[in-house]
Amino acid sequence: MFRFLKNVFAFRQPRPLPFAVLFTKFQHILERNNSILGLMADMGDKLGGEYVFDRRYIEQATEQLGDQVFKLISDLSVLAQCRHVELFVAFERIRHLLWQELSGQTAVTGERYVLGLDEVGYDQVDQAGGKMAHVGDLRNRLGLAAPDGFVITTKAFFDFMRQDGLLEMARDGIAAWDGRDEKGLDELAAEMRRRILEAPLPRGLAREVTARADRLLSGRRGPQSLLAVRSSAWHEDGDSSFAGQYATVLDVPRDGIIDAYRAVVASAYSATAWRYRLLRGYREHEVGMAVGCQLMVSGAVSGVLHTYAPQVDEGVMVADAARGACRPVVDGSAPAQTVVMERDEPYRIRSNGDSPLDAALARELAGAAMAIERYYKRPQDIEWTFDAEGVLHILQTRPLRFRPAGESARDDLDAASRDAEVIFAGRGLAAQRGVASGPVRMVRTDADLEDFPSGAILVARHTSPRYSRVMRKARGIITDVGSPTGHMATIAREFRVPALVNAGVATALLRDGEEITLDTTRCAVYRGRIPALDRFELTEEDAFEDSYEYRLMRRLLKHIAPLNLVDPHGENFLPSACRTYHDITRYIHESAVNELISLSERQGAACMSSPRRLQTSIPLGLVLVDAGGGVECPGDTGAVYPEQIVSLPMREFLAGIDSCGMWCTEPVSVDLGSFMSSVTRTFSNSMSSPRAVGRNLAVVLRNYMNVHLRLGYHFNIIDAYLGDTVNDNYIYFRFMGGVTDFIRRSRRAKFVAEVLERFDFRVEIHGDLVVGRVKKLDSARMSRRLRMLGGLVGYARQLDARMHSERDVSRHVRTFIDAMGAVIGGEHDE
Amino acid sequence: MSESTLQADRLRILVLDDEPIVCKRLKPAFQKAGYEVETFTDSAQALARLHETRFDIVVTDLKMEGADGMQVLSSALEASPRTRVIVITGFATLETAKESFRKGAFDFVAKPFKLGDIVECVKRIEGELREGHGRTDRGVGPA
Repeated sequence: MFRFLKNVFAFRQPRPLPFAVLFTKFQHILERNNSILGLMADMGDKLGGEYVFDRRYIEQATEQLGDQVFKLISDLSVLAQCRHVELFVAFERIRHLLWQELSGQTAVTGERYVLGLDEVGYDQVDQAGGKMAHVGDLRNRLGLAAPDGFVITTKAFFDFMRQDGLLEMARDGIAAWDGRDEKGLDELAAEMRRRILEAPLPRGLAREVTARADRLLSGRRGPQSLLAVRSSAWHEDGDSSFAGQYATVLDVPRDGIIDAYRAVVASAYSATAWRYRLLRGYREHEVGMAVGCQLMVSGAVSGVLHTYAPQVDEGVMVADAARGACRPVVDGSAPAQTVVMERDEPYRIRSNGDSPLDAALARELAGAAMAIERYYKRPQDIEWTFDAEGVLHILQTRPLRFRPAGESARDDLDAASRDAEVIFAGRGLAAQRGVASGPVRMVRTDADLEDFPSGAILVARHTSPRYSRVMRKARGIITDVGSPTGHMATIAREFRVPALVNAGVATALLRDGEEITLDTTRCAVYRGRIPALDRFELTEEDAFEDSYEYRLMRRLLKHIAPLNLVDPHGENFLPSACRTYHDITRYIHESAVNELISLSERQGAACMSSPRRLQTSIPLGLVLVDAGGGVECPGDTGAVYPEQIVSLPMREFLAGIDSCGMWCTEPVSVDLGSFMSSVTRTFSNSMSSPRAVGRNLAVVLRNYMNVHLRLGYHFNIIDAYLGDTVNDNYIYFRFMGGVTDFIRRSRRAKFVAEVLERFDFRVEIHGDLVVGRVKKLDSARMSRRLRMLGGLVGYARQLDARMHSERDVSRHVRTFIDAMGAVIGGEHDE
Repeated sequence: MSESTLQADRLRILVLDDEPIVCKRLKPAFQKAGYEVETFTDSAQALARLHETRFDIVVTDLKMEGADGMQVLSSALEASPRTRVIVITGFATLETAKESFRKGAFDFVAKPFKLGDIVECVKRIEGELREGHGRTDRGVGPA
């Protein structure tokens, strides 16, 4: 009993570790935090297509990241003496999800029976099947109209099929089949279909499907309340078309949905479909059938379009059209008229036959078709219909298979690129691989984005997430300055717009309106349109974005990169609310700072000086911990004055804060209702109140300081060593966060980065996170830079609310540098 | 292949990696740069092909089931000493790099790598071949 109590006692009051050990832990946390953010950015960067990576890389990177996050939690547990069990739980939850993704287990099918079309895209292809994943992309990425509806997932399929051992029956049946007995296969298929059509649906599935249908159909009557129930199997409309192999049931009333569902599922086991799969080398475990339920559209004119038809002529697309619905054109039961149109704008009509498709509709259709082709980087086979009101609906799209680029395509390519005039080549970094032709559109101000012409190539000095609003119109993007890990690059990848950043000379060499061809695979820009380059891209065997590894990487990153814990003062700033590795990292960073402050409060007096409030003229809320030789004053006072500080870096930093006159104190109103997409939230940060200064922390030694400063909306970290040994000297500066819209925050990040670069910092920007490093300068130069940072911290505070245009960035840089001149004594660059 | 035919013909490249994604990415990139490309995910098949016909450049992964990259490197050079071999690997260590070079590799590239970099490497080889530098000039061939 005594021993037990002793153990409990020992647990409750652990022997405190020396502060020096804990402080080292704290520094490790900072380092690890940075390396984790770096790893996440690297993984995102790989999605642009410039890198060749394999599955091993994905596994290694994921494992490395997990390892780092685990150690980060361990570091915090030491620092906080084991109080963060919930973080380990959150970590295990995320790691398990990642493991499931990597091992292709249940994460593949997800947990839900029904998904709305607005939740579906190619990354959900495993849950929604090929056909509906495409339909989701059309609506959500390309902004095209496709009939509204929902998807009954592959998870529903597997639960349904496992219920009465149907899945086993199929797998065992085909495993036992000798490959020759055609009659045997027919019998197996017939038996499967019979049993599927009779099988009850799993508990909850039928209920969920009818509830969803009721919502979709509410307020609709008559023909308007009918549904199309369509197959959407794994691999359908992908590597193999499976065209016509699986069932689609049209004109289904509400009460017929469940039967139609069974019929579509059963069609996966028709003898024809089975033979098709066997012929194409699919294995039985690769059969997964999602089912799409969409509103019927009563078509006025419908048909099929092929975006590329070299058998007719190079540079044309072909549409077969007929009055009424699409189905008779697809299955060939009704005569259709052929329209031949050019692939380039304005999509001139070469021949029209007697087609019911008039010129205006044809052009609209052609524009939509080319948008789809550009997105998938493949010629497309598109089923479409115009309703009575003349609205275009895309019913289905699948890649049009061509033989791989043969001799002739490559000869054309060689000839074309030999003859082409190169405007520049080998410059810049490919943020998204691809080829695009079109007229140049220079973007200098927001007004240039207002009337951005569809099909143009955006050329600008800097990258900017503002361009997201024209992503659907832009064929390509070229910037003089920018990084492939920035936000714009992420958005370009999302929309698959070929993007070349950091090309240096684009705005100087290109003229508004001139026709160019951008080939980011060669980091080159050619004069005029070069169709051969484009065509080569179209006949490559597969678009890299659709390959398994890229899909896997995107799915993994969903559990890694988004930041949900944005507000340290918010109710959900809790370990249990961490849904991604980024959340955990963010939480730990915040906790570590708090922990260090309270640690030094608790045990500081015993081991070192107790924390004291720094009395400054400006409200910094700075708690100072002297870890050795940083302060000269009696140990028992609660306050410390700037003149008592002997820590060299701290003195310089405070001098910069104090003397520059850059402390803007007037309140600035902030517009909170601004645009913030899921993408741009990835690296966003703390959203504390502007006036909440809170507890900020500085740990100082004679030659060292580590400062965590949250001021208004942002968060600064400065870690610096300043002494006589040049090789030991360094400054690490990190700047994050802000509460205004992302655009203004990124302008402010740009401002900080430009200033740092002028002072020789090596700068990295990830969204609105700026990291600057400078090292190995003599102490005089280091001192000037620390003073400059004091000024910068003051100046940048709330600056984002003042950044109204891109021009403000350079204006503020000039103002700041000029003002700084007085403080640091003349020219900064010695 | 004599130099005159080399001038006229495209360089022939064999790519071997057991992960199909690597072949899938490299093939079109090399084709686009104007080369003939054959890809393999199985080293036995690649070795058979190497004995059947000559390639100017072999790009091979290191760790694979069956014959590994080192064996492929040696066999490729045995079959045709003028062939240049680029080793690509996700397990890049100083040791494996040294061993690759000792066995006559032209270059050693750690995965993941940029497509631009590997195409650049192939262009360097092409430049040397077209200038008529024999392998022995570089002194890296097997003794």
